[in-house]
Amino acid sequence: MTTAATSAERRAQIKGIICDILEIEPSDMTGTSRFKEDHEADSMGAIEILSNLERTYGIDLDQSVLPRMVNLDAVVTVVDEAVAAK
Amino acid sequence: MSALVFSTWSAVSPYGVGSEPFRTGIQAGRSAIGALDRAAFPGPFTEGALVPDFNAADHIGRKGTRTMDRVTGIAVTAVGLLLADGGPELTSRPEETGLVLGTGSGSVQSIMDFTRDSLVGERPYHVDPARFPNTVMNRAAGQSAIWHGIKGPNTTIAGGRLTGLTALSYAARLHRGGHCARVLCGAAEEYSEQRAWLEWHGRDGDDRTSPLGEGGAVFLLETAEDARAAGRRVRARLLTTRFRAFAEPSDARAALAECVRDALKQAGARAGEVRVVAPAETGGHLAGTEEAAIGDVLGSAGPRLLGSRALLGDTSAATAGLQLAAVLSLLDDEETPPGALALVTAVDRDGTAGCALLAAATNEES
Repeated sequence: MTTAATSAERRAQIKGIICDILEIEPSDMTGTSRFKEDHEADSMGAIEILSNLERTYGIDLDQSVLPRMVNLDAVVTVVDEAVAAK
Repeated sequence: MSALVFSTWSAVSPYGVGSEPFRTGIQAGRSAIGALDRAAFPGPFTEGALVPDFNAADHIGRKGTRTMDRVTGIAVTAVGLLLADGGPELTSRPEETGLVLGTGSGSVQSIMDFTRDSLVGERPYHVDPARFPNTVMNRAAGQSAIWHGIKGPNTTIAGGRLTGLTALSYAARLHRGGHCARVLCGAAEEYSEQRAWLEWHGRDGDDRTSPLGEGGAVFLLETAEDARAAGRRVRARLLTTRFRAFAEPSDARAALAECVRDALKQAGARAGEVRVVAPAETGGHLAGTEEAAIGDVLGSAGPRLLGSRALLGDTSAATAGLQLAAVLSLLDDEETPPGALALVTAVDRDGTAGCALLAAATNEES
């Protein structure tokens, strides 16, 4: 079960992880700013984000979800689905 | 005789970041060995010689350094210092510039940490992919070139305490074969708890507790003509390098003596012309071997011995690289006669002996 509170907490945590990997300030990232186009992410950065989320939440993310993970909103959705499927 | 001279060089050492702190530290004979921060560096040693407060981000910027390990940070920083010192001309022909960097096993800390994460994590693949590049031996050499846009041949050399010398030999061959117009050559080593334990278990005799050091040195090898044209001062000429293998520690002395004799012979030099010798001061069963071999060839009243182990600790793969830097520091001295010879020697417990013969710049060269 995901309450509104834990969901917001997780979103903030995911944002921290991604900003750390992309080496940007959290204030520069919005829910829809795009990692590749707006934050200069490369394919290695995408793999890093996926791998870090797997370890942090104990989930398995198939690499086929990578194309969906273009911004924070999309990543939160992918993680929420994977956590729900655990 | 080699066509190459040493011009610009840099060091990241327990004396600090840059060739200047290194030069003054060596010339003053000041020891950089101190108590280790046991919280940061647990392990078998209480003392060591670390690059003080080293953080690569302070020298090369925060972006891209987050997942860089310590030895890579040392190497990238040292190469950056050299390029800054060498001037813009140095990076104007990146395809013609080679990079030969010596290392131990790469970073044993990175290798062990990554392997452990895979074993203790929930899944074997729950590892940090960004840290994987640190686990390969050529990470420091590769990253140094990528970071600074050096596009010529890129080589990683490992040869124990001889590493700086074998890298030098390789770099000279690379140039002689026409594979690059100039070559950056050096060696780097990091301090870590993991390396400390490996040394502790691997050493022999009474050498076990002698403190470890870390650091790196990088040299620009080019022709004297190129150095002059670019306005870079010639510090010394590389005359030659020599190597031998030995099966038993008792054969090391003869092996090294043969290297030194051969080097002198090839350079057409007499023993008496050698002013300074920098030995690796390899310990354990090989302790005293180098000094004995040097005495065999150069005589008992021989040259000044410039050992730096008491100052910098045992810097393993960086040993001979830092010895070369120490020799260049000393040749910089105004009292050094032009053309004076300097010798760097090393023996390793793996059964290798080697030396490099250098000549201080002559008046025409400098």
